[in-house]
Amino acid sequence: MDERPEELLVEEARKGGREAFAELARRHERRVHGVAMRMAGNLSDADDLAQEVFLTAWKAIGSFRSGSSFYTWLYRIAVNTSLTFLKKRSREKNRAPFDENLPIGTPAHGLAPGPEATSAMNEITVRIGEAVMALPVHFRAAFALVVDQGLSHADAARVLGCSENTVSWRMHKARKLLQARLKPYLEEVRS
Amino acid sequence: MRCGMARKRLSDELDGALRPGRKPGVEAHLRACAACRSYRDGLARIQAGAALRDTRPPEFWAAFERDLGAKLVAAEKDRRTVLDPVPSRLRLAALAAAAAVLVGFAVWYALLRPGTAVTEAWVPYEDVLDPLVEAAEASPEIAALIDKEIRASIEEMTPVPDTDAVALDAADPLFWEGLSDDELQAVVTELENETGRGGPR
Repeated sequence: MDERPEELLVEEARKGGREAFAELARRHERRVHGVAMRMAGNLSDADDLAQEVFLTAWKAIGSFRSGSSFYTWLYRIAVNTSLTFLKKRSREKNRAPFDENLPIGTPAHGLAPGPEATSAMNEITVRIGEAVMALPVHFRAAFALVVDQGLSHADAARVLGCSENTVSWRMHKARKLLQARLKPYLEEVRS
Repeated sequence: MRCGMARKRLSDELDGALRPGRKPGVEAHLRACAACRSYRDGLARIQAGAALRDTRPPEFWAAFERDLGAKLVAAEKDRRTVLDPVPSRLRLAALAAAAAVLVGFAVWYALLRPGTAVTEAWVPYEDVLDPLVEAAEASPEIAALIDKEIRASIEEMTPVPDTDAVALDAADPLFWEGLSDDELQAVVTELENETGRGGPR
């Protein structure tokens, strides 16, 4: 295990150090994969997206300004790559618009979890995952960064290129939509 | 506080983004509003159930890193392109264009910029006036002399009103038609003041 501090690895990678970059990728691969998974909605696409994110970062690391936060920069690439991917595949175009009256058992388009995912997640996680996938993409990106990755509104705003207030409103609206969609299920759990 | 604002602040609180001063207001609202208490409980359940779990075995990550390593090697050429995105020929052309613009600006500034002639013409007057002012300050007689000369030159420069021409213009009906209502009224008032009679109405 490479114990070098991240700043040093970034500096070496900027100078062309492939090993240093591979170590950076090792440190961040799960988080990047998590963002890709939340955005793409399935493991297969998330695997490809995560690879693409690191490849893009490697090609562009010469333009990374030392002194900035590497993980914020990497998350930004992850979100942008995911959005481009979703646009290219016309997922958003074909996906049914958010419908709070949609029966809970109906998975959103492209979200049917694979057997490994189904076995690992309990029911509420699956339901919530479906509901998050049905959110508009910008709400989903904010949700992925703030809830999944634990970023502050300020950091998420830097990643998404918007204001903290915008992140705050997107989170509020995302939660309102999730509540509306999951209401019958949440009431069932409560009773 | 309205329910909408309380719910927005509950969302901020979950993200650790609620300002401390706003918490008591939210809590007071929650004590009074059962719907918002239920909403808060729902948010907490969603938050707890939303966590993504890493379901991939360690072998997956080892293979992921191997694949990525191979792609990094293959992308070495592209990476250099990113580090040096502008070809040297283009860079030279851009530098030459910038130099040409700079030289052009320098020539314009030195020879053609407006105001040059005025500045050059003005400097000798200052050179002449300064000793005169000093002399006038030193001697009241010279000051009186200079004052006399200045008054005489002002009188020379002041145009003598051509009374015949004004009278001729005023006699022309088109002269009055060319004036605006305000100008006409001003002339009328002036005529009344001077002659005690009104002008054309």
